Amino acid sequence: MALKATDELGSRPSATTTLNPEEQELARKRAEQAAIEGELAERELRSANLRAELGAFEQQYLHFVGSRYAELDELKAGIAERTAREQPSNARAQQVAREAREHAKETKTAAGEKLESSPQAFEASPEMKRLYRDVAKRIHPDLTSDRNDRAKRQALMAEANEAYRRGDDARLAKILTEYEWSPEQVQGEGAGAELIRVIRGISQARGRLGEIEAELQELLRSDLYQLKTRVDQAQRDGRDVLKEMIDKVEDQIAQAKRRLEVLTPVNR
Amino acid sequence: MPVHEKENTEMEARKVDPAPTGIVRADSQGLMVRSAGLVRRGLRDLARDSNWLIKKVFAGRSPSVAISDTGMVCAIPSSLQDAGQRLVLFDLEMNVSTMALAVPGESAERGANEAAVFSWSPGSRYLVAARRGWRAKALHIFDLHSKMLLGTFGDFAEFPAQLVWSPNGDYFAAASAGGKNARLRVWRTGAGPAETMPCAPTPTHEMGLPEGFERQTYEAEFGEEGGFSGYGSLAFSPDGKFLASVVEIRGDWADDSVVMVEAATLRKINVFHGQGHITDISWTPDGRGMIYCAAGQAYRVDLETLEAESLPFGAEFCACHPHLRLCLCFSSWLKNSAKGRLFVVDLNTLEILDEHSAENVAHLRWNGDGTKAYAATSDGMGYIYESPLI
Repeated sequence: MALKATDELGSRPSATTTLNPEEQELARKRAEQAAIEGELAERELRSANLRAELGAFEQQYLHFVGSRYAELDELKAGIAERTAREQPSNARAQQVAREAREHAKETKTAAGEKLESSPQAFEASPEMKRLYRDVAKRIHPDLTSDRNDRAKRQALMAEANEAYRRGDDARLAKILTEYEWSPEQVQGEGAGAELIRVIRGISQARGRLGEIEAELQELLRSDLYQLKTRVDQAQRDGRDVLKEMIDKVEDQIAQAKRRLEVLTPVNR
Repeated sequence: MPVHEKENTEMEARKVDPAPTGIVRADSQGLMVRSAGLVRRGLRDLARDSNWLIKKVFAGRSPSVAISDTGMVCAIPSSLQDAGQRLVLFDLEMNVSTMALAVPGESAERGANEAAVFSWSPGSRYLVAARRGWRAKALHIFDLHSKMLLGTFGDFAEFPAQLVWSPNGDYFAAASAGGKNARLRVWRTGAGPAETMPCAPTPTHEMGLPEGFERQTYEAEFGEEGGFSGYGSLAFSPDGKFLASVVEIRGDWADDSVVMVEAATLRKINVFHGQGHITDISWTPDGRGMIYCAAGQAYRVDLETLEAESLPFGAEFCACHPHLRLCLCFSSWLKNSAKGRLFVVDLNTLEILDEHSAENVAHLRWNGDGTKAYAATSDGMGYIYESPLI
């Protein structure tokens, strides 16, 4: 869209006085669109940052704490199974053993496979942030009213989000170049049609701004964010909350192991 | 852009439905959903300084308290203006009073300190109550779903010492003191005169003086007479088929006994003799043993051999976990400090897993699925025990 604006208005000899009313309105709307594009890019960046930070924190949490909960639940399932074996006529004990085994499986699935290396916290460089802003300004799906173009932008934006989360600045730059140089970006139509497109683009962008705000609020309300905030605040005070959580689960694991040891083993 | 890459990009673009607004997100939000339960669990554990949660449930004192398996507490708090007239129900988890149950025709003048006894059915559907001062000498049954008094049953001459429902709700039992007039009564539930009334007016079975306890004389040893004074604490076996009741023997130095009967017939199965006055009994979850508290000491009895062992801790009340080999106990006298405590014991190792100071505890109870234990005191304190290990 930026390329088209240059083509159409750039050929005009001088400023506003020579523009017809549609072109004047188009110029105003383009200025408005440019401002809203900037705001949208900022908000997308903030949202992407938060999601990437939470994603990285979640990986850390699952790696260090979640995996220990999986170990604890495995031990608890073992205790429940051995207890049920000792009380074959206690229907409740049998049910509890089945539930405990199911719960252990769920926890293991939720915790995921423990990674070989320790996951790191997310931190984007200023260059990454600049690139992401540019991508969001140029290819945001809510800045076009063309269905095919929109689909393409959606796919590219998802790719851009993933690249940002991974810290892959080369891929971000490539996404931007590929989109800008694709031939379908150059279109020639009248000022009236272009004005409609710009107005619709502004409307979509406003809608998207509302959506981003709702998404941000949802992220800020999540338990994961509450936990991360607590961990970050404590870190500033010299406390390691993740370590404290690990210690608590380790204590529970030690107790569970002691209880399991005194029960009769289950013959599988 | 190489041709194959451009084609791929276009194909990908066609695959995406262009209709919905917004951006297709990376996988981080999906992960957040997956980990939500573990994150909540971590936050909960982090906030937990202790496995005990202590709450003030009601002001004043109540002559009796009873906790249900869903954490409801029934009491008659003396702080209320119409103390003695209404039973007040409290939700221990939410720490709010949920209902006040009035008994028609009973006035407030009969005194707030009159003895009372309550029992909750499994799942807190029914509440059975009796008050010494009430005119109607019968058990009053309330339906907590319809919030109404269903009626009365089981007229008594001697005030019941304890009421209990079987774990599956099939039986209801009442025990009373009163020497020769003492009764152990059992109702088969669901046999009431109407669908809404679970218990018939008269018990399915009842027994008076238990066989073998016609007369017990301790004259030779203590110079005083000891005889059957009535039934005390009651406990159904975990499968609900058997009922155990304390057989109380009059006299400061007398030893109480425990009689075990078949719930369906009240046929005597076995008896064992305790060491002193027995204040509480509880079946172990496998139904093969029993924990009892006598004269402040805890004991364990093997019900096959009837051999008893003194446990390495004192207790006046005990409640075994429904399926784990754990027991919640209360002792009003902690060695060297003369202070009370609530504690959870591992019955395999006899190790005290967790404890908390407490006074005046009147009732202990595990919840239905055994994930929490509750305790309530006569002066309105409530305790919730929740361990991540259970």
